[in-house]
Amino acid sequence: MDLFDLGLVFATLRLAAPLAAAAMGELLAERSGVLNIGIEGMMLCGALAAFAIGTATGSPVLASLAGSLTGVAAAALFAVFVLWRRADPIVTGTALNLFALGATGSAYRLLYPPEVPLSDAPAVADWLPGLNPFVVGTALLVVGVGAFLSYTRAGLAVRAAGERAEAAHSQGVRVAAARWGCTLAGGACAGLAGAMLVLWISNTFVEGMTSGRGFVALALVLFGGYRPGRIVLGALLFGAANALQFRLQALGLEIPYALLLMTPYLLTLLVLALFAGRVRAPSDLARPFIARE
Amino acid sequence: MAFGAHAVPPGRRASIAARKRALADMLRGVGGTRNRVRPRASSCGIVFALAFGLTACGASPEPEAAFRVALLTPSSIRDAGWNQGAYEGLLKIKQELGAGVAHQETRTPQEFEVGFRDFAARGYQLVFGHGFEFQDAAATVAAEYPDTVFITTSGSIVRPNLAPMVFELEQATYVLGFVGASISRTGQLGCLGGIEIPSVASTFLAFEAGARSARPEVSVRVSYLGSWEDVAAAREATLALISAGSDVLIHNADAAARGFFQAAGEAGEVRVFGANRNQNELAPAVTLASATLDIPSAFVEVARSVKDGRFVARPIRLGLADGVVGIAWNPPLFAQLPEAVREAAQQLEGQISSGEFEVPRAGF
Repeated sequence: MDLFDLGLVFATLRLAAPLAAAAMGELLAERSGVLNIGIEGMMLCGALAAFAIGTATGSPVLASLAGSLTGVAAAALFAVFVLWRRADPIVTGTALNLFALGATGSAYRLLYPPEVPLSDAPAVADWLPGLNPFVVGTALLVVGVGAFLSYTRAGLAVRAAGERAEAAHSQGVRVAAARWGCTLAGGACAGLAGAMLVLWISNTFVEGMTSGRGFVALALVLFGGYRPGRIVLGALLFGAANALQFRLQALGLEIPYALLLMTPYLLTLLVLALFAGRVRAPSDLARPFIARE
Repeated sequence: MAFGAHAVPPGRRASIAARKRALADMLRGVGGTRNRVRPRASSCGIVFALAFGLTACGASPEPEAAFRVALLTPSSIRDAGWNQGAYEGLLKIKQELGAGVAHQETRTPQEFEVGFRDFAARGYQLVFGHGFEFQDAAATVAAEYPDTVFITTSGSIVRPNLAPMVFELEQATYVLGFVGASISRTGQLGCLGGIEIPSVASTFLAFEAGARSARPEVSVRVSYLGSWEDVAAAREATLALISAGSDVLIHNADAAARGFFQAAGEAGEVRVFGANRNQNELAPAVTLASATLDIPSAFVEVARSVKDGRFVARPIRLGLADGVVGIAWNPPLFAQLPEAVREAAQQLEGQISSGEFEVPRAGF
């Protein structure tokens, strides 16, 4: 095996796409002023829903849809507490992650008791090697989110809600609506990312299978300076480093595996920290807003 | 053009006087200063109560039986392997001994200790910690609760009420390594581990020793995931092992191993081995055999000795000879093996079982 070949590119895409999709969800929420720590939990909910619907119907399309919608439902729960009841977003997000891990685990064991043989979720077929609906979908999502935020009136309203909620409100922007919308859309992205893990990458559900990807997405948004292009580059870098790291382990080099497992995190952090420059979060991020006349 | 390029907001540079005004407004509950709206603590409480309430749904209610047994596992009991076998053992104890049983999933050393202490304090007579990683926590808690028996499935620490139950899975992986090296075309074998703990590393060590006994020049590559759940990483790591030239692979990765079987099934031209349970059905086209553990009967045996007051704390070693460790061949693929390999494997199994040959294992 060459260390670098086409297989490495495909592995990079598989490892990067769920991160990129989840990060787009986080980006939408954060640009509207909502700090969504619960991405990991939303991914996990989406993954279980995609697995359940996928194995029941055999349709990857329905399964992806179910994953996204479940992500929306989890995001709605988050929004009820954070946007409506004005609970602390960090505490709520952490609670949501714990809740999602427990709830998906319990639901999975109820739905598929140990006596039932494990079944595979339907796999999404590749159109060409390395090219499938999820790769294209993620690319479109990134371009779409970027264009929405930068070039549309609604995108401007979203950014205004995140930067200066009161000023935006005084200009007639419906801040609450923008934040709700972005949080729910972010949940859809996270749910889709979870569905990708099931329908594309592993064809199965395992409790806790997101393994911290939601937090990596969170970090990518911050270190990518809230810009879609940089975030995707970060995701690709992370995916490539991770794929490469597995290849280095497979080569049987005398490098401690813990060091290799660390490289994607270190490398991505290093590159983004060096090249991102000064990152400024949206000014009104994680500040509750209540319209008062 | 980005909205984000705004200058620093005037509110941030408010003079002290303005801040005082804002504070006064805030206290009166009127006005529109930006920092006035604070997150509510009470809502946070509700969120957490909800999260923990629902998370706790997985825990079993307190059983009524006089003899009570609990199990702590390091990850999901739905892994078709190491943890599922233990859970089945717990259910068998309930069925055969009429015991009240409880199970808890614990992931960190702190959770191990809390789990042990919790069950011991509630008067459970027997608590299993399922894996090498539980032994330090078990030793700590065993000293505090002398009336509860603690069993760790692996390890070496013995106390009056604590004993390790060591499954000699190495005896099976040694044979599988021997067979693997005999049939490998590339002369390179692969091992996929979840987290590098001595009990997992030891099964790979025996696998490699078995492989070298068949072909001294064979190369064995070991890859770890740093997780028992990351099924996507397991798939990528397995694909990497295969593309690096390994054509016979074994795993010890619990739930994440689903990705191992996915990748192997996809690659096609490989042979893989399951571990801890008969996993031949997970990828029947490529899985030649599984190194199996009959955890349930071992669990029932030790539980019965505790129930009858016969328990003596000493390391419990269980292997091929006890019928607890075994090799489950996948018949159609086993039939494809050269006859010499089949015979040598069965002979080796017999020699290990009779004690004529001792399989190397890591000292831990």
